Amino acid sequence: MAEAFTLPARCVVSGRAAGQALVADATLSFWGEVDPGSGKVISAGHPLEGESLGGKVLVIRSTRGSSATPLVLQLARLEGNAPAALVNVEVDSLAVLGCIVNGIPMVTVEAEDAFGRIRTGDYVEVDAEAGLVRIRPSQP
Amino acid sequence: MELTPEQQAVLDGSRGPYMAQCMRWLVEWGRAMGARRLVRVDNTHCLLPVPNKVADGASAETIRRYVDNLRAAAREPVAPGCYATLHTAFVTLDGLDVPENDPAQAKLQRELGELAARSGFIPTYTCAPYLVGNVPLKGEICAWTESSAVVYANSILGARTTRHGTESALAASLTGWTPEFGVLLDENRRGTLRVEVSAELRNPTDWGALGYFTGRIAGLGIPVFNGLRRPSQDEAKQLCAALATSGGVTMCHIAGITPEAPTLEAAFHGRVPEEFVTFSEKELRETYASLRSFASGEVDSVILGCPHASIREIARIAALLDGRRVAPGIRLWVDTARITKGGADAMGYTAVIERAGGRLLCDTCPTNIRIPARRIVTDGFKQAHYARGMTGAEVIVAPTEACIRAAVAGRWPGG
Repeated sequence: MAEAFTLPARCVVSGRAAGQALVADATLSFWGEVDPGSGKVISAGHPLEGESLGGKVLVIRSTRGSSATPLVLQLARLEGNAPAALVNVEVDSLAVLGCIVNGIPMVTVEAEDAFGRIRTGDYVEVDAEAGLVRIRPSQP
Repeated sequence: MELTPEQQAVLDGSRGPYMAQCMRWLVEWGRAMGARRLVRVDNTHCLLPVPNKVADGASAETIRRYVDNLRAAAREPVAPGCYATLHTAFVTLDGLDVPENDPAQAKLQRELGELAARSGFIPTYTCAPYLVGNVPLKGEICAWTESSAVVYANSILGARTTRHGTESALAASLTGWTPEFGVLLDENRRGTLRVEVSAELRNPTDWGALGYFTGRIAGLGIPVFNGLRRPSQDEAKQLCAALATSGGVTMCHIAGITPEAPTLEAAFHGRVPEEFVTFSEKELRETYASLRSFASGEVDSVILGCPHASIREIARIAALLDGRRVAPGIRLWVDTARITKGGADAMGYTAVIERAGGRLLCDTCPTNIRIPARRIVTDGFKQAHYARGMTGAEVIVAPTEACIRAAVAGRWPGG
């Protein structure tokens, strides 16, 4: 197994969480593209289509805000299908609100770190206050 | 962020735990978004929907806890002087002969609306509050949910609202405060993308095409349109809705027309960028084609009124349908606010539309209740975009008259 390493991150919503990374250089709307009942991405043709967000560290460029983003996140959380943390490149204010309300930590990282150094399946620990993301690669 | 003693007291629990939580949401959201203070707000538009099909497959316990959270908000009194309207629900309160409109959830929504009304909310259940009396003035600070309405308020009315979500709009309504960031501040209302329009926009749906095209390019930016005539209210509605559908746009300017863009220079706060994007007849045609998922043949649903139809649109639809008959098996729905339908009932438009085989759908929209449509023709780019993504239906966007022709014929003729 490759060695663990850390990446600098900027705290957007405080908290600590860990989980397997789900990585895509894409945007995602919780409203309309995520089914809170299953936690899956349902948008046809989306790079994460069919993937379950539950317990994952979601590494994407940004979410695309809808007024209903916090509502969908809340339903997903109550069903145990919410992501563990958001690691984004850009900040969507409605994702921020959704994370605050639902106790989900959120950080931003540089694009080349997000998509160049984190791979789907890696184990990722997010420590928002400390401003870092620790990655344990799943494969060499 | 600096809080006044009054704000700090609410945060510390002077008005009870729910209000403290509201204040915490606003403060933490503001801090994360770089706000330095909370400002007074006395105009809000809030989400308070029971989940219905949005949480399909969720447990009864999840629904109960979620609705309990909404009830906690609806029980608190709206801040004195605050005009607080409600966004669309995920059910219609009318009986509706599709299994997707769960009667138990409709009952829950009615109870929630009644509770909210006693607290001072006005249960308008619409995505277009500016059509039913909530029309903020230039410079008025608002806290609105519904991205299409946010773009309309900022751009067409010159009011000021960031894009709010469920809890922030409720918290703003109850506390009377909202964090000051984004387009609440002058410097963040400056245009970022110049769009030169040479296409002739003939109807509201054409304006939707311009919005849908531009939203994709603008992302989170502020487009400035040059070369446009003054839009009608219905045209402006389509433009704003489509901008917020394909992009994350919060506002736009129309040079020479909208309140903060007396000139192209003013829209850019001085220096007009040399580079621009062109919207010509070619882009207009291509934008329609980009959302078209079938060429011709039978359709099952014709959806008008996204965002919710104005009384003028309903009058026009009634005139187009007068003496005609919707083809058997076709669902022709005109989505609108209950307030507007009340007018349409009194003026006789509803009767004409129903005689032709259509219906007015209130409080919600077909996508929100996930109607089982396979092939939809609609005059709204937003409706087409979400119907395709959320219900998997095939869609065609076309001007209202062509939609009505399709409803009568029962098929899309092609072309």
